[in-house]
Amino acid sequence: MTQAVAEADRCLLCHDAPCSRGCPADTDPAAFIRKLRFRNLTGAVRTIKTNNILGGACGVLCPTARLCEKACSASGIDRPIQIGRIQRFLVEHGWERGFQVFEKSSPRPEKVAVVGSGPAGLSCAAELARNGFAVTVFEKRPEPGGVLRYGVVSSRFDASFLEKELEDIRRLGVQFQCRSPVEGPAAAERLLQEGYEAVFLGPGLWDAHRLREDRPDIKGVYASVDYLEALSGDRLEAMAAQICGRVVAVVGGGSVAMDCVTSAAQLGAADVYLVYRRSFGQMPAEEDERIEALRAGVHFLLLQQPIDFAVDDAGRLKGLRLVRTRLGAPDNSGRRTPETVHGSEWLLAADMVVEAIGNRAEKGSSTWYPHVSVDRKQQVKVDPATGRTSVDGIFAGGDIVRGPSLVVNAVRDGKTAAAAIKEYLNQRPATKEEIS
Amino acid sequence: MTRQHDVDLSIEFCGKRFINPFLLSSSPVSNSAEMVARAFDAGWSGVVFKTLNSDRLPIIHPSPRMNPLHYGGKRMVAVQNVEQISDRPLRHNLMDFLYLKKQYPERVLISSIMGFSNDEWAYLAKVSEDNGADMLELNFSCPHMCIEGSGHHVGKAFDLIEKFTATVKQTVSIPVIAKMTPNITDMTEPALFAQKGGADAISAINTVSGISDVGLDDWVPRPNVFGVGAISGTSGPAIRPIGLRFIADMAQCTGLKVPLSGIGGIETWIDALHYILLGASTVQVTTGIMHYGYRIVEDMIEGLRDYMRERKVRCLADLLGGALKHLKTTDHFDLNRQGATQYDLERCVGCGQCYIVCRDAGGQAIEWDAENRRPQLIQDKCLSCMICSFVCPVDGLITFREMPPDWRPAEAPIMDEGLAAQVRMEPFTKEGPDECTC
Repeated sequence: MTQAVAEADRCLLCHDAPCSRGCPADTDPAAFIRKLRFRNLTGAVRTIKTNNILGGACGVLCPTARLCEKACSASGIDRPIQIGRIQRFLVEHGWERGFQVFEKSSPRPEKVAVVGSGPAGLSCAAELARNGFAVTVFEKRPEPGGVLRYGVVSSRFDASFLEKELEDIRRLGVQFQCRSPVEGPAAAERLLQEGYEAVFLGPGLWDAHRLREDRPDIKGVYASVDYLEALSGDRLEAMAAQICGRVVAVVGGGSVAMDCVTSAAQLGAADVYLVYRRSFGQMPAEEDERIEALRAGVHFLLLQQPIDFAVDDAGRLKGLRLVRTRLGAPDNSGRRTPETVHGSEWLLAADMVVEAIGNRAEKGSSTWYPHVSVDRKQQVKVDPATGRTSVDGIFAGGDIVRGPSLVVNAVRDGKTAAAAIKEYLNQRPATKEEIS
Repeated sequence: MTRQHDVDLSIEFCGKRFINPFLLSSSPVSNSAEMVARAFDAGWSGVVFKTLNSDRLPIIHPSPRMNPLHYGGKRMVAVQNVEQISDRPLRHNLMDFLYLKKQYPERVLISSIMGFSNDEWAYLAKVSEDNGADMLELNFSCPHMCIEGSGHHVGKAFDLIEKFTATVKQTVSIPVIAKMTPNITDMTEPALFAQKGGADAISAINTVSGISDVGLDDWVPRPNVFGVGAISGTSGPAIRPIGLRFIADMAQCTGLKVPLSGIGGIETWIDALHYILLGASTVQVTTGIMHYGYRIVEDMIEGLRDYMRERKVRCLADLLGGALKHLKTTDHFDLNRQGATQYDLERCVGCGQCYIVCRDAGGQAIEWDAENRRPQLIQDKCLSCMICSFVCPVDGLITFREMPPDWRPAEAPIMDEGLAAQVRMEPFTKEGPDECTC
């Protein structure tokens, strides 16, 4: 508390605060920091949770340095206010004192289905439930949370923290049906005929890009989604045993790759290599994540392009075949393109390789909603202002729309879609049940 | 090192030379010789020892005995206490006097005493003198004594101040300081009574009666002494303006000829210098020590010495009362001279606090350039209240500048000129005092 108050004391309480403009989910840090400063702690918690039902998760996971804290006026004095930490503190404070943010809203008869319980789905479900709608969330995996549960290592975001966020959402009346994939031909569209008046699609991206699509079964090679899911579940010990004392190589330069290398180092790997085809400054991962990985003892192999796995006659992984790169001309994104250096191939011996080179929509996922327009990556096309898809009553958001993105952006999408769903249902003629 | 003797921090007060003007005031920080010895080692020039008890009545302190006033993340801007006088046996305190005078003969030992009758005042004065005290401080101001004729009740009954001071003066030959309570309107009056009784100096202020906090769960004012709170003495930086005001009042009182010892919210050499410039020849500290320990005297000594060097002031006495010639009543202001703010936007960080406060508490003299996040001053509307400069996080960005002689700030706008006809009033025409500054 003292720390949070002291940090709030440094806040300049800006007019038209840049931090609040910098939050994609409109969590409004300027308001909750001011409330903390004026000892209105319950009001501060209410502001966060009302604006961002995953305010706790965002407080932990948000790359605040390039969002709310980026434009902080206090930077002109010394350093930005630690907004993420204050946000996390306030949300936890609310839980500790058992403060109930939300009051019961008057129930509405309409049922809404949410597909996927990741950040986008949770945000949409909570917002709809606050407005009285009967919301059911369908989740394929055994527990809700999506990437918050299965895609982030526990050292960064603990499951117990997620449980508290979920408890807040359950208390709003949101129903969860786990182990309930909405898959198979037109399964998502069928929900509209099964009593749900609107559907929100937030299934995320769970199919991994692979170095060798044709060889998915090399023992010791994991996609990052599978690796991280193993660490989050009851397979943790088996995974730890496999890592301890061994050499692990992780391919990729994003936040997920950092999670993979850092966790492997923490689990006692003899050596952890991060293999990235560009340079340190071009990594998509946040700077503090990169530094943390370096501190954990990870060896960064930069300007190295993996070309194939090395496998012995028995089919066991021996390592990763790499080739050196140098940076050439900038590509469309403005980043300089790595070009391989001829004749520089070498073998990095490794007992395990984790590929963290990005995720994509699951194969055939578009058949679950055949009338919904998708792009060539099978990502769902929506009107960004509303989250409406090409099908009336079906909305979408999160990574399935944006491609790999941030939790806070998924929260934004969920809120946007919930507002649009409310408007859609308000304008809809009453159903037969209501007439009767 | 050769410059060590170029400025002189020592000062004479009541005929005694103090190596610097920094003393411990009578309080928990001067409770025993063990503590005071460490304070002397740190550099304090003297001590007003914790007020002696004659052992006639046992002293038991309430528990808990203090409560802080925090401000945001800043701790202890004030402290409220319900502390009593010394709870130690008189013999122990006097043994400590002997020890301190033996070990630190150059430091000044001032015995604080408080009696409930003439005889008791005389008794405590005598034992103090007989056991090495260099001076006495008469505690006419402890706000925690409920008996009539004790503590601040004396400080508010001016004839008793004179009577007890005279009694003490007749008993001992060492100098006598009378310590005043601030819980009155005019301090010069009791100070003059003390002088009449023979006091050699006045010290001020004791703690300000106050309430620092009320428990929101139990509604008990703090400190919560098992379900009971009490209005009691408040000290610390928050009450410093009150201490400075009383010292200045007494320094400007022509009938009052005795030297002053300033007390109230002193933590830094600057705080101490304010007291000195307003007429205090020594200063006393407690709450600053409660917050930071005896070590702060090192910065007081070094800071004041360097200030004197830079200002080429050779001895402390040359600073004494230096601000008083500029301290006048508000009717002395030259209202023909007006100024306004000016902004150095090169260094602006764009927080917009100036805009908010000018709009809600000033002259609405700032417009907000939202695109560039910068204030735009409309100087003619500036009231020169300077609030914007108080909230600005960048030191010196907003400054005061005198405007040309014919310049006047614009009048506040009227919302609806059409209402002029509906106003019901006649101009006030009666005669009155010829003064218009409040």
